[in-house]
Amino acid sequence: MKYLRLILIVAFLALPVMAFAEFNTIDDLAKAYSDETCKSCHGKIYEEWKSSYHAQSVVHSLGGIKNFIVVGLGKEWNKPVSKEHLMRCMDCHAPQLKDASESLIKEIADLIVKAVDKKDEAAKKELAKLNVNCVICHNTKVSIEKNLRGAPAKDTYYGPSGKASPAHKTEKSNVITSAVFCGQCHGIYTPPDGDTIGCNTLYGSYQDAYRGNGGSETCQDCHMKKENRGHTFPGAYQEAILKEGLSVDANIAGIKLHPGKWIPTAIVNVGLTNKAGHRTPDG
Amino acid sequence: MTAKTDKGTVINMGKKEYWELGMDLDGDHRLGAWQIKEVIDLTLPPKKTTKESFVAELPADTKSAEVEVKVTRLAGPKTFELYRFTKKLNFEK
Repeated sequence: MKYLRLILIVAFLALPVMAFAEFNTIDDLAKAYSDETCKSCHGKIYEEWKSSYHAQSVVHSLGGIKNFIVVGLGKEWNKPVSKEHLMRCMDCHAPQLKDASESLIKEIADLIVKAVDKKDEAAKKELAKLNVNCVICHNTKVSIEKNLRGAPAKDTYYGPSGKASPAHKTEKSNVITSAVFCGQCHGIYTPPDGDTIGCNTLYGSYQDAYRGNGGSETCQDCHMKKENRGHTFPGAYQEAILKEGLSVDANIAGIKLHPGKWIPTAIVNVGLTNKAGHRTPDG
Repeated sequence: MTAKTDKGTVINMGKKEYWELGMDLDGDHRLGAWQIKEVIDLTLPPKKTTKESFVAELPADTKSAEVEVKVTRLAGPKTFELYRFTKKLNFEK
């Protein structure tokens, strides 16, 4: 009975640690969310993703995140760096930080400031271990209906087909092919600290101006399926998709205006047709 | 839109910019994502054609001019020239 009581007490004490594991180093956090094993079976997709901006979701946005830390938190709010507030940025730029300890959050904030202000390449290299990788999209962020369908199951990967894999548990997900899945981050967003943020506002325009005018394609249709773009997710930084999303015609004519005297005049008419599923430009 | 003489001197220019203007609730333009609560939408809407017209009066003695229309897209530190149209205009009879 004494042993049973001891086991029960130990188990009870251990449960919160297991259920709410927090990581104290970037390496431990990156390991817990590692996609290294994904590439052994999904090599092509992994390489596509590696060339994408999702693979650089922290290091490509360092300036904006640093401004939030230094100006927003430091000067305007006069508040110390905390997990609650840094997750305003990181819930999209590196959602795995939900499992970081407060001390790791402070370390990451320091690295971000150092990487920008001191152009510290070592700091940038550390931060590059944090990104929106396979695990984030195919597990962490996949459930947008947690109340209906429950939270994503541990060690399970959610995809459009749900095809069984010998390497991991697989579940079919309708969410992952929907625009609202992308809209979690590419839209007006209320972060965990409850204070709205206007970082990327694409999704509102997609819903109201594109779907509202009869558009039916999803983000994935243009940014993944078309031209076999796959997991490269091209956007505002790739010329080909920018041209695809905008057609332009221009008519240039020379006339002589005659408001009392002859004035050589160029008449230029330009038509710009936004063929994207959202306003342009936008993030 | 730029009009130039044969020697490359700019004799008229016109520009139209499309962007979203992030605003805070005090009505001030802000750049920080945490500060922006509303957007003034000056962008190109989807599924629509936006027309722009330029009436570029040139110096009275202009005999000919080259008119160029360029559509560029700024994305962070990058600039992409997406389209360019040029036409030589002759004003001599």
